Amino acid sequence: MTNLTTHIPHQLITNGDAAITIEYQAVIDEKLTEHIIQTTHYLTKQLKNYATEFIPGYQTLTVVFSPLKISIERFEQVLKELLEKPIQQQPIHGRLIQIPACYDHELAPDLLPLANYCQLSIKEVIHLHTQTTYLVHMLGFLPGFLYLGGLTDKLHCPRKSTPATRIPAGAIGIGGQQTGIYPVASPGGWNIIGQTPVNLFNPLNTEPFIAAPLDKIQFVPISKKEFIALKKKQS
Amino acid sequence: MSIHFVKPGLQTSLQDLGRIGQMHKGISRSGAMDTVAMQMANWLVSKPLDSAVLEITLVGPTLAFEKAMTLGVCGAEFELFLNGNQVFNNESFNVKPGDKLQFDKLKTGARAYLAFSGELKLAKVLASYSTHITAGFGGYQGRQFKLNDSLELHQTQIKDARKLPKECEMFYSGNYLLRCVSSVESSLFKQQNKNQFYASSYKVSTDSNRMGIRLSDNPIQLDNKLEILSSGLTQGSIQIPPSGEPIISSVDGQTIGGYPRIANVITADLSLLGQLKANDKVNFVFTTNKQANIILTNKQKIMNKLLR
Repeated sequence: MTNLTTHIPHQLITNGDAAITIEYQAVIDEKLTEHIIQTTHYLTKQLKNYATEFIPGYQTLTVVFSPLKISIERFEQVLKELLEKPIQQQPIHGRLIQIPACYDHELAPDLLPLANYCQLSIKEVIHLHTQTTYLVHMLGFLPGFLYLGGLTDKLHCPRKSTPATRIPAGAIGIGGQQTGIYPVASPGGWNIIGQTPVNLFNPLNTEPFIAAPLDKIQFVPISKKEFIALKKKQS
Repeated sequence: MSIHFVKPGLQTSLQDLGRIGQMHKGISRSGAMDTVAMQMANWLVSKPLDSAVLEITLVGPTLAFEKAMTLGVCGAEFELFLNGNQVFNNESFNVKPGDKLQFDKLKTGARAYLAFSGELKLAKVLASYSTHITAGFGGYQGRQFKLNDSLELHQTQIKDARKLPKECEMFYSGNYLLRCVSSVESSLFKQQNKNQFYASSYKVSTDSNRMGIRLSDNPIQLDNKLEILSSGLTQGSIQIPPSGEPIISSVDGQTIGGYPRIANVITADLSLLGQLKANDKVNFVFTTNKQANIILTNKQKIMNKLLR
C-alpha cells in the first residue's frame, strides 16, 4: 500500500446549495483514486451528522449534505479544516476480478467497425482488450457502471454518433478512451464489442455489485457456447 | 389484494423519499419528484410523512379498492371521481370494498400523490420502497403499474378526516420561476451566456421525465467546448448539452458526469420539478446560497406546522 498522507492540492467548489465538489489538481491515476477513496472513508466518519452522499469522480469528490442541518458556508469551512489534517489510513485491498467476456459477432455488433477504425484485426482487438487489467476508478452513471482505467490507446474509438436505443445488460463497450460494461439495459453510444453472462447488479444482495473502486478487472474470453451455459447457470 | 389497477395510467409507481447514500454506486435517489406533495398526502391519512405513496403522472389510473381505508391526494389536480361522485385534492376521503376511484382530466400540475392508510406487503430494496424505473428494482416488481396489477396492503383502517391547512395548498400555474445558485462549472460560462440564460423563457419539452426536465427555445450558444472534470451530478443541476437547450437533472438522473452545469436549482424549489409538464414556461433567477437557505428554512417551517 502506498503512503497516502501526502497532500494533494485541491479546491472546493459549491455544487448547488446542498453539495460541495472537491477538485484535485492531479492526473488521473491509481494513486489519486486511492487518495479519493481514503478521503471518502475519512469524511464519512467525520461528517456523518451532515453529509448524505459522497460521490467520487476521476479527479473529484462531491459531498452532498443536508442544508437544513448546516449552512453551506459553515459546511465548506468544516470540510476545508478536515482536508488540511493528515488523513488516517485504512488499508484498502483491491481484488482482481475476472469477468468472462464473449466476443462472438452476434453479441458484438460494433466489433468489426471498431477493428476497422483502429486498423486492427478482430483477433488483435480481443487480444488487446483481454490482456490488460483495468482499474476500477469509481461507480456511477448507471447502477453499478464501472469507470475503468487502463484501456490501451490502440483501442480508443469515438462513441457512435447515433446512440443505440437499447444496449443489453452485460454488454461490453468502448467509448472514446474508456471501456466498460453496461450493468443494466440502457440506451447508449458506446461501441459494443462483446458481452458478459455475469449478472453485475443484484439489488437484493447486501453488496449489490461485482466490484468496488480500486479493484482490478480482467476480461477472460469465452466462446458463445460457454456464454450460453454460464447465462443458464445464472438464471 | 387491496388496490386493483383497472387502468394503470401513463406512469404510476410506488415512491417514498428515495434511497439516500447510494449515489457512489451509481444509484440515483429515485423517490417522489414532488416530495412536498408526497408528504402532505401522507399527512392527510395520518401516516408518517415519509411513507410510500403512488406517484401518478399526467394520465391518471382507475383504481378499485378491496378493503376499507382512508385516502389522500395532493399535488397535480385531476378531476377525481369516487364511484362517479367528485372528490378533491387536499382533503382525506374514505373508500370501502368495491369502490372505484377514477383520475380523470388533468387540470393543473403533472404529478399527483395518492397516500393510503395501510401498510405495504413488499420488501424495501436498499432501504426504500421507491421504484427505480430505469434499473428495474424496488417498489412493485421494479416497475410502474400495469393493467390488472394488484397492490396488497395490510393493517388498512379508517383514519380521522383531515383537510390540508390553506397555507399548505399548492397551485401550479404552468408558468414557473425557478431560483438558482451557482454550480461547479458556472464560472466557466461566459457572462453573455449566463445573461441569456437568466433572461430567457424556456418551454418544457415533451421528452422530460423522472431523469430530467428538458427545456427548449432560446438555446445557449457556446463558442467553444468547456473542459470539465466529471463530478457528482446532484438533483437540480442545469446542464447545457451541445444543443444549448438546458436539461435539469431530477430524481432518476445519472449520478456523475454529463455536460457543463450553468447553475443549480435551489433545494427549496426541487419539488416543483415534479409538476412541470410539456409546454409549461420556465424562467430562472439567480440567488445567493444564503438566500437559498432562508427560503428552505421558511419552507420547512410550513411543513413542520403539519406535524404539530
